[in-house]
Amino acid sequence: MKKKQILMTSGRDIWRSKLCRSMRIILFVLFAAVSQVFATDLYSQSTRLSLDMKNTEIKDVLQVIESRTPFFFMYNAAQVDVTNKVNIQCENKSVPEILDVLFRDTNVAFDINNRQIALTMVESNLSQQARKVSGKVTDSSGSPLPGVTVVIKGTTRGIITDTDGRYSCPNIPVNTILQFSFVGMKLQEIAVGSQTNINVTMIEETIGIEEVVAVGYGTMSREKITTSITKFDTEVLKNVPFSNLGTALQGTVSGLRVAQSDGQPGSNPTIVIRGGTSLTNPDGSAPLYIVDGVVRPRLTDLNQNEIESMEILKDAAATSIYGAKGANGVVLITTKSGKAGKFEFTYATNITVSTPTMVYDFLPAKDYLYFMRKGIAEVSKKVPSVLSYLDGPYACGTGNDLTNNTFFTPQYLTPENQHKLNEGWQSMPDPLDPSKTIIFDEYDYYDLLFRNALSQNHSLTASGGNEMATFNIMLGYENDQGLVKISGYKRYNANISGSIKVNEKVKVNARVMYSNSSQERDRDYAYSFRRVEAPTAKIYFEDGSLCQGAKINLSNPLYRYTIYDDDNEEDNTTFSIGGHWDIMPGLAFEPQFSLYLIHRNMRYFEKAYYNGQNYETDRFAEANFSKTTQPQADLMFSYKKDFGKHHFDTRAGYSYYSQDYYYLYAAGYGATSDFIPTLNACSEMDDITSTVDKVVYMGYLGRLNYDYNNKYLLTLTGRYDGASQLGKNNKWGLFPGVSMGWNLHNEEFWPLANLLNVKLRGSYGVNGNISGIGSSTAQGSYSVGTQYAGNGTFTNSGMVNESLSWERSKTFNIGADIGLFNKRITMMIDVYRRVTDDLLSNMSLPPSTGWSSIYTNLSSMQNKGFDFELSANILPVTSAIQWNFSFNAAYVKNKILKLPDNGVENNRIGGELVWDPKTRKEVWKGGLQEGGKIGEMYAYKQVGIYQTDAEAAAGPVDMLVKGEDKSKYAGDVNWLDVDGNNIINSLDRVYMGNQYPNFYGGFSNSLSYKNFTLVVRADYITGHTKLNTTRAWFLAQAQGFNHLITDLYKSWQEEGDKTDIPKFYWGDETQNNLLRGSSLFHEKADYLALREVTLAYSFPKSLLKNVVSGLSVNITGSNLYYFTKANGTSTEVGGEDDGRYPLPRNFTFGAKITL
Amino acid sequence: MTGGTHCPGILHLVQKLLYNICSTINEIIMKRTHKLFIFLIVAALATVSCEDDLNITPVSTITVASYWQTEEDADAALYGTFASFRGAASCSYAVPSQLFAMGEARSETMAPGQLLYPAARYYINSDFSILFTGPEWTSLYRIIHNANLVLKYVPGIEFKSQEKKDNILAQAYAIRAFLYFRMVQTWGDLPLRLEPIETVNPDVLYIERTPKNEVFNVIKDDIDKAITLFGNDNSFPDGRNVWSRPAVNALKADVYLWTGKAEGGGNADFTTALNALNEIETSDVGLLDNFSQVFTEKGNKEILFAFYGDKVEGAASTASLMNFQDNPIGIQDSILQIIGPASGSGFWYLSDLVANQFTNDDQRKNATFCDVYTVSDGVESYYGRVVVKTPGIVEYNQRKFIDDYPIYRYAEVLLMKAEAKNALGQDPSAEINKVRERAYTESYNEHIFVNGSKTQNDEAILKERLLELVTEGKRWHDLVRFGKAFELVPALQDNVGDDYLLLFPLSKNILAQEPKVKQNPGYEF
Repeated sequence: MKKKQILMTSGRDIWRSKLCRSMRIILFVLFAAVSQVFATDLYSQSTRLSLDMKNTEIKDVLQVIESRTPFFFMYNAAQVDVTNKVNIQCENKSVPEILDVLFRDTNVAFDINNRQIALTMVESNLSQQARKVSGKVTDSSGSPLPGVTVVIKGTTRGIITDTDGRYSCPNIPVNTILQFSFVGMKLQEIAVGSQTNINVTMIEETIGIEEVVAVGYGTMSREKITTSITKFDTEVLKNVPFSNLGTALQGTVSGLRVAQSDGQPGSNPTIVIRGGTSLTNPDGSAPLYIVDGVVRPRLTDLNQNEIESMEILKDAAATSIYGAKGANGVVLITTKSGKAGKFEFTYATNITVSTPTMVYDFLPAKDYLYFMRKGIAEVSKKVPSVLSYLDGPYACGTGNDLTNNTFFTPQYLTPENQHKLNEGWQSMPDPLDPSKTIIFDEYDYYDLLFRNALSQNHSLTASGGNEMATFNIMLGYENDQGLVKISGYKRYNANISGSIKVNEKVKVNARVMYSNSSQERDRDYAYSFRRVEAPTAKIYFEDGSLCQGAKINLSNPLYRYTIYDDDNEEDNTTFSIGGHWDIMPGLAFEPQFSLYLIHRNMRYFEKAYYNGQNYETDRFAEANFSKTTQPQADLMFSYKKDFGKHHFDTRAGYSYYSQDYYYLYAAGYGATSDFIPTLNACSEMDDITSTVDKVVYMGYLGRLNYDYNNKYLLTLTGRYDGASQLGKNNKWGLFPGVSMGWNLHNEEFWPLANLLNVKLRGSYGVNGNISGIGSSTAQGSYSVGTQYAGNGTFTNSGMVNESLSWERSKTFNIGADIGLFNKRITMMIDVYRRVTDDLLSNMSLPPSTGWSSIYTNLSSMQNKGFDFELSANILPVTSAIQWNFSFNAAYVKNKILKLPDNGVENNRIGGELVWDPKTRKEVWKGGLQEGGKIGEMYAYKQVGIYQTDAEAAAGPVDMLVKGEDKSKYAGDVNWLDVDGNNIINSLDRVYMGNQYPNFYGGFSNSLSYKNFTLVVRADYITGHTKLNTTRAWFLAQAQGFNHLITDLYKSWQEEGDKTDIPKFYWGDETQNNLLRGSSLFHEKADYLALREVTLAYSFPKSLLKNVVSGLSVNITGSNLYYFTKANGTSTEVGGEDDGRYPLPRNFTFGAKITL
Repeated sequence: MTGGTHCPGILHLVQKLLYNICSTINEIIMKRTHKLFIFLIVAALATVSCEDDLNITPVSTITVASYWQTEEDADAALYGTFASFRGAASCSYAVPSQLFAMGEARSETMAPGQLLYPAARYYINSDFSILFTGPEWTSLYRIIHNANLVLKYVPGIEFKSQEKKDNILAQAYAIRAFLYFRMVQTWGDLPLRLEPIETVNPDVLYIERTPKNEVFNVIKDDIDKAITLFGNDNSFPDGRNVWSRPAVNALKADVYLWTGKAEGGGNADFTTALNALNEIETSDVGLLDNFSQVFTEKGNKEILFAFYGDKVEGAASTASLMNFQDNPIGIQDSILQIIGPASGSGFWYLSDLVANQFTNDDQRKNATFCDVYTVSDGVESYYGRVVVKTPGIVEYNQRKFIDDYPIYRYAEVLLMKAEAKNALGQDPSAEINKVRERAYTESYNEHIFVNGSKTQNDEAILKERLLELVTEGKRWHDLVRFGKAFELVPALQDNVGDDYLLLFPLSKNILAQEPKVKQNPGYEF
């Protein structure tokens, strides 16, 4: 064991030293790429040398030049005679000068292209008629295009346009054709004829016609894709600032559900493709994220301005290239790289003001006191002891005074406190004894805690390149304020990449991505509303000092926020280097090596504080540090070959990555002052621990694409994957995929040509998933436990499960891609059935085993559904107004097929025993059952509110009324007695809905006229039910002395009140009307969100003169409005809502300047 | 390099490959030679797989396969079992410890505290419903699982000393016996687990409840095994924080008194109990003069077995009985010194009914609880009551529970002996008086016990147990054993005849997860 560790360490040192070397290589490539762009002529002008060679073959002279300069020669030895012997003598001459001498009086011409010198023969019979041809190459907007290759067709002779887009070719024979080529532009061929000045306008290749889609380890033309892949519309990223890139996907991709339950800046949304493959936590089935080929755990730290494209791979045939990790779908992200020809410098910024979208309305203090005092009096009828709260020093009690000994303001009016009424205090008659006057002060919760948050984003991008090298540098800064005053998020991003074409066959690229983010969290969940202080609380004492409140976790938030001193930070860094090498025609090798690092550190300190009257001086401090090191290597070969109309495109390779995880934690207490918040001030250490963990993945993968004349398409994919955390019997798994397509419109018999394009697709594939298996889950574990009497301990912390294996998802997908009217309207339809077997889930164990659950592969579930996407240019291309409309919708339904055999009917796990009126029997519903659905909710159904005591007395006996006395009164809830036995008990619960949605999507409109663009986007999620515990707590006063919401106005107060909110009993004591799990708080959370409205304007070039080349501005509203019936601060996620940070409504001003 | 035969690791290969590519690129360009050989290198590297990389030995945990090799493993696992065992007597915030919840929370010793917190009242009123089903057994069975692991694997380990090996096994048997005893007292019939759970085979996982008389047979058998394994060693280990022969004898007496009284075992069981108790007398035990010292002095000779507690490890304690929700304004500093800072609990108080049974000349009174009064304008008013057994210390204005928590101590041994003797028709006064003499010191003469009728004696013993052992998690079991629950617990006085209330219900969780386990009759919610 020990020996092994030493070996591992030394191994790592080697890796580290190698790491330095690879860093140097990355830096070299980056540096070289940048310098290349600016220094095309560098070599030819700066390299000088002296030669003195006699009677030497030209060949040898060339070799000497090659060996002493960076230049190399290219020539066809069959044409160019290099065996002639020459004498050459020169002093400090540049290479062109030497070559001029060398080839004087010969037919040999040379072209210098960066470091490459091409030697060609000038045919003598044409040379007489040859002359110089020159001109300028521009792009469609009229800007000069540098770096365009100009070649005489059929030869290798050519030249590259200069920075002004100009070129000049000597010795051009008549009747030749010049070819102008440039990446991303259509090849132009122009017959020279008699012209000597040829100006060319290059035309960009239209994306719509040949849309290229990333498919995992490569790209493919949309026309040939046979699986279910959606390309994200990057227009979404243009105007709305996203602190988390994941939220940009909201409503934009069919079959992808993105929902935010938390408005804290920087928090992660739920991202689930096609319903997920988890029985216990479908919302946690995050897809696999691949950023520039590097596996990443989250999208949190990316800046939207560095995104070039995003593709979402949905069916198993598409994701099986990622084998064991693809079951929940794959999100492929490509970040920006430099493009040849353009040098661009862009500055983009935006400023956002945010307010909460949905909030609760609180009672004014006056009404608060009214309800509280009445409610306590009501409870006292059964529980007399609560009367003390009416005259004690409580939020609604009159036992407060003006000293620092009480924490609330209400008190009876006396001559001593009368002056407070002149200082803004209010008064009211005591609702229980109108002869007395209560005076009190009031504060506003929202003013105290919330703000109009201001956020800003800045990014700088410099990008450019030529045919030889490209580079891209992006720097980003984001600073978001949270709606809750103390919360926020800050991030710095850098993304630097470069690529160099080493020669015609070899390209090398490198990238460094870095982000540093820190999130200031509201530790106390001010928004959770369980902690909302009563409106009558003192915020400041009479002497002006902050009032600490009655209890620390239920106190004046302003005071609470002064106690904590904390910090947390995360660095994400990626180094990657990749290459492309055309080994021989059709065969290429594409390796990529990367190192992804995550560093996290956190520290926390609690100053000494008053907890009520107690002065707590523990001064707890903690700090932790974690580091994930993820080296990754992907070695891919590709081979492309056409045999007539048979096109083959294959790819195969090897992929490896590992994750080393290191964690260090320490905590202590007993600092003697508040001044030093770090652990060094602690007098006693409490807890110190560190752990090390490692997982390794490797796989062999391959893909074969075949098509016959672009009509019949076939793709075979497979991956053989291994993972270290699996049981020793199941370390490797094979994940194949097959997909087929038929482009009907390419058939000769197809009558509709461009009017209607149809591709039919079908696919089947197998995927794996092992997310959630710890590195030693399969092996079982004994962990260090708490000591006993000073003796070290180990306890059995995990059961062995050597047969632990992959989850296997099999997806059958059929779909169609349809284009109408020359693709002005495009549609994508997919219908799928995914069955996940060997589902990894926590199998609940009987409590008498001592274990609550074991993670094992015993279940099976099915997701069935469809995805639909439509995009239409509603107006013709010729129209001055352009209107693009897109819409997507997805439906998914899950079903549990198999559960671990536990001897229960349907192998049910958990669930609720209720009465089934149909069969007139007690049945177990909900939980997990074979044939059932995940996420079903059951609760007592409220029929109405009793209007009279007599009516209540005649109702069924309610066993949930607290205490012996079960009597009910007017204002109490009349619950549905499902079994009709005149007794309300747990059998009388009914189905309330499902916490997971089943239908969702979005639509967007983009209207442009001249330089104006108007974007309107909306999205929706339906079918999910939310248990709004927060609202229940607020109506019930569940914590005793918190705030109350204005819905209480609607509560039953006297006979005849038509309402669904029962009479207020303080704390919901005795009658248990609210906190038992009531249908009142099971809310349909369906919503339609008005996600974005943008008006953008880009200034015309004529206005900008030549000061800048582009300027655009936009005003944007985002998260503007939710159309929903649900209450609370967020409705996007179902299940229990026990207080969610409100989602922000944002107003953004953005500007983008391009130099 | 990490050695010739050692797989160099793919990382190394990757690095090498990177290096190769970069250093050969130049060559390729310059010489334009055939690249086949480089291609072959690359291809070879790409297809090399280090399958060994997938076999990772965890660093920060030990796998099941590599555990149970040495004496140290056995020791660590045993102490781990004790640590989790101690957890059963540890309370958090408002939640009483498991042993307290089962053994005392429902008795007349408790009253609800300042706050209207339902859980305490549910216990105190025996108000079980679907809303509240009392304690779960999961954590207790986990301790049993840990003990079962020791019993299964330790015999296979080679020890230098057989004595040590036997001792470890004896500890595990004693822990298992104690827990099954507490559980059978609480729930009656039980799923019986005598092997550790190391499979997901449903036949093993899902079992029915074993009738309680069979469970008692297992308990008694485990006790006998433990006693045999201790051999003739009647001494105590340092600190008295693990089992010993005398401690297991106390457990034995406890069990036999129960089966004698509550399960119809009769005189045979009482005799067995008395014999076990008599054997304890031969060990190093005695009463301390100072009652409060019993709970604050570690390893004192009154202790037979107590859970160890300190600042680092945490402790079993009466924490949930020690706190006020908020400390009142205007309490004396001297009282504040005793009760320490409020810590937001205060859901449980010692009831007036019990507090009033202590006389002022009983030294146990002030060592058991503290009444707190506030003084405002010279007027004293009663505020509340906290328990001060196992008080711990106050540091940084926070209470740290560091005391050991007794499970069996000599005073109880004496009272069990009195109980056994009385049951067998013998005079129990000597034992009762020993306990009283320590309690009343100078005024002992006013409290001398004189032998009476069997019933009178039992009543005196039960009351003495109350005064002596209150808050130590025994009272509810005592009331059930003496058949006095319906008489002495105010909340149950109207329920005479509802004998099902003497057991606890099974939780909804247990019923949902253990299909072969059925609810205790009377508790069908």
